Amino acid sequence: MMTGLLRKREGAFAETAIDGEVVVMDLSKGDFFSLTGTAAAVWRRIDGTRDRATLVSEIAAEYDAQSEAVGRDIAAFLDQLDGAGLIDGA
Amino acid sequence: MEPLASARAAMRLLAQETGVTYAPVPPALDGFDVGPGRSRLSGDRYLLHSGSGYRFLYERGVGVRIEIPAAPDPAEEALWFNGSVYAAVASINGLMPIHASAVAHDGRVFAFTGPSGAGKSTLVAALGARGLPMFCDDTLVLDLSDPNEIVCLPGHKRLKLSAEALRLTGAVRQEKVAAMIDKFYAAPPAGDVREPLPLARLTFLEDGSEPALLSVSGAERFARLSDDHHTAAMFAQAQAADLGARFALFARLAPAIPMSRLIRPRDAARFDESVTLAAELVTGQA
Repeated sequence: MMTGLLRKREGAFAETAIDGEVVVMDLSKGDFFSLTGTAAAVWRRIDGTRDRATLVSEIAAEYDAQSEAVGRDIAAFLDQLDGAGLIDGA
Repeated sequence: MEPLASARAAMRLLAQETGVTYAPVPPALDGFDVGPGRSRLSGDRYLLHSGSGYRFLYERGVGVRIEIPAAPDPAEEALWFNGSVYAAVASINGLMPIHASAVAHDGRVFAFTGPSGAGKSTLVAALGARGLPMFCDDTLVLDLSDPNEIVCLPGHKRLKLSAEALRLTGAVRQEKVAAMIDKFYAAPPAGDVREPLPLARLTFLEDGSEPALLSVSGAERFARLSDDHHTAAMFAQAQAADLGARFALFARLAPAIPMSRLIRPRDAARFDESVTLAAELVTGQA
């Protein structure tokens, strides 16, 4: 799998924060995602400076969780964002 | 402009733009035929053709033109005019209509929304019997011109109730709404409010087995606003809002409007329980 620095695809989405949750809308379809907890933390860290491995280790450390389990969850989430065309580098 | 002054100006604008003339109305708008039971909003204009043959054409800066069918029914004309046509006029003039009935308390508006038949008018009438004046029935028009406050324009419609709702609420029955509609006009028991006021809370009416008040937080507030209500879609269309602009609108409104869900059984014997919950929500005792 090709991996690299994860970055959001500008213009593909709109986002806003409400009560600590992040709402992201896919502007091509109008679908929106509600991100809470680790998903919101992952989304906030997708800024063009981290690759997948860095992201996993940071989230695992922050949430005091095992890297393997966090890695699986993050991989699934990144695939979902990638599938929606919202990010590059996944 | 001071927010309430802006809302008063919006009220005057709406009054002016809903001036009526009776004259033939063309059957098409921008080359699109608008057949019976259909409507079309395009730029600064809106054309509606009722199933019974009424045609309404609104043009910004001109007002509303109405073509009456061979068998006119003034009550039906008033329903279309005060409903879809009024919502279109508001939308085209930058005012956001939402499908809600509301009461006023302590200088603020408490609105109740839900699909047709959810009991919005009945609840507002019942709250009137407990001393809360009606702010609007069925359509709540919002002035969003102040970035810091959402201001509601007072209702233009009379309260409409079914025979069952009249019995439940004790509201005084007036004339029938229209020959084919099984509802009656009613006087709001605690009167109504004629001044614009800021929006305090939006409450969603839902059916359930036990009465309950639940708060709505986070993304759910966003989701509930973006539910495809006809009036919200009309407003977005009138503002030529693409998905990004719609998102920006909801992103502004969702954090600014406190929201609740009022769950209640549709059981006449338990009606008062849900009215008590709603009254406590409005008066701050919940």
